[in-house]
Amino acid sequence: MLKIDSVGLTISAVPLLNNITIDCPRGSVTALMGPNGAGKTSLLKVISGEHSATQGSVEINGQRREQWTQADIAQFMAVLPQSSTLAFSFTAEEVVALGRTPYGTGLVRDGEIVDAALAKVDASYLAQRSFVQLSGGEKQRVQLARVLAQIWEHCEAVADTDGILLLDEPSAAFDMAHQLMLIDIVQQISAQGVTVVMVMHDLNLAAKCADQMVFMNCGECTAVGTVTELLTPELIKKVFSVDAEVIIHPLQGTPMVVV
Amino acid sequence: MTTLSSRLLTPKRCAVILLLALPIVSLLGLMTGPVFIPLTDMLSIILGGEGASSQEKLIIEIIRLPRVVLSLIVGALLATCGALLQGLFRNPLADPALIGVSAGASVGASTMIVFGVLLSANGILLGLTAISLGAFVGAIITSVIIFRLATSPQGTSVATMLLAGIAISALAGAATNTMSYLADNDMLRRISLWQMGNLQGASWESVGLCAFVAGMLGALIPRDTGALNAMLLGESEARHLGVNVEWLKRRLIIYSALGVAISVAVAGMIAFVGLMIPHLIRLLVGPDHRSLLPLSALAGAILLVAADALARVVIAPAELPVGVVTALLGAPFFLWLLVVQRGRS
Repeated sequence: MLKIDSVGLTISAVPLLNNITIDCPRGSVTALMGPNGAGKTSLLKVISGEHSATQGSVEINGQRREQWTQADIAQFMAVLPQSSTLAFSFTAEEVVALGRTPYGTGLVRDGEIVDAALAKVDASYLAQRSFVQLSGGEKQRVQLARVLAQIWEHCEAVADTDGILLLDEPSAAFDMAHQLMLIDIVQQISAQGVTVVMVMHDLNLAAKCADQMVFMNCGECTAVGTVTELLTPELIKKVFSVDAEVIIHPLQGTPMVVV
Repeated sequence: MTTLSSRLLTPKRCAVILLLALPIVSLLGLMTGPVFIPLTDMLSIILGGEGASSQEKLIIEIIRLPRVVLSLIVGALLATCGALLQGLFRNPLADPALIGVSAGASVGASTMIVFGVLLSANGILLGLTAISLGAFVGAIITSVIIFRLATSPQGTSVATMLLAGIAISALAGAATNTMSYLADNDMLRRISLWQMGNLQGASWESVGLCAFVAGMLGALIPRDTGALNAMLLGESEARHLGVNVEWLKRRLIIYSALGVAISVAVAGMIAFVGLMIPHLIRLLVGPDHRSLLPLSALAGAILLVAADALARVVIAPAELPVGVVTALLGAPFFLWLLVVQRGRS
């Protein structure tokens, strides 16, 4: 569970976020959307604790963000950054195993989780490959497996606390099949009670799995609501400055943005 | 496809090879030198039996044994600290020079060589000569300055540390050059020999001092290996994995500054070991610090003992500076390994 209450963030006199209020109940999927520089990643960083909010507060699992220690919070919250550089040739398997750093669950259990997490992101065949030699999409899948391994007990609904997963443009490097795989994973784990907050650019992809959409622009929250409430030509024009049509998917009945 | 296709050795196998090599190389180190002591004589000295001459016994007990033990410890310290710094900077090319330790040690040592005559140049404190003491103090001071420059209320910036390290090293270089300029011919020779590193000054006191530091680091570092692995992913990734990154960085900088400073103080500047040994072990078994650090320590110890043994015999009865030998010995081997590795991938 995650409550963002009138959060503002100013770094070196540059206002990045202003008065953001979002409520993410347990097991919900929230998609943060908006043009470049809207403050999506900054908001994610406030939630993950990399920046501390200069105004307002973030409440995580019933306690203010600052009151959690880094070690405690790592046991239920995982963060997938936009991209990360790794200059050392860990195997994909070893990278995923790093996701188990916060725990002392033992090599055997961790090994099982690593295998399962790799299988979940369709990367079992990469297990022994050197991470640095993988393609962009493969790297991102392995990193996704790493964050899933970190909150694996939560994804299986066998943990005492509620899991939180923050994803920053997780699908950017994925091919079509793996974009759908991502949606599938997000739906599965949120059904198990994991709260997901993700930054996305693809409106249609987000529409497939988001319970809640947040349109951001210039550091402010322009609109918060369900997919049907937000995907309207007027709002899309206002936030993204794009003329778009919204039609209904002939089979799934969800709104679709066509430009 | 084998299970570890991108690795040449498993950590276990690598450890077995190194543990077998260590006593062999150490024995060779004890046997060789201007006076060759055959294996049988040496074993009888070590095991307390008869058969060796008293002269041989003296050579082993007073000169060679402390020297070999010191080489083992210094080699292990240099390689471990190199691996720590490479992990901290997330750069496989980082070496102790980056945090200014070597440059600072140079200033300290050359100052002592030039002005130390004014103090009692032969005064010895805990096995450290005035020169080593100068090197140790110089090394610690520069690394503290660089660390302070890179630390702001937001934390320690590794990038700033790198830049500050380069600038401070340049400054220290100028200071060392000034000392060299002021020095007379004999001092100049001592300064440049010191900069090439040597283990001639080995004594049981210096062994004890290094062993104390090495033992302390050996007890502390294993607690941080998991966190250091997470650091390789990036600082914020490590933070999200529950690592207290600020304290980890501080600890690692203190550990490596201490380890390198004490090594430089007793043995001068020994190139190559801190940079290449961890790199080599990484090529063999991968970058996991849980195996990388102990294996680097072993390999560093072996390399330095072997290099020092060679240094004593190549131009006997004179001695080559051991830093020259580490580079001569290690660099071609390292290049060969690079080529092998490239051929495999």
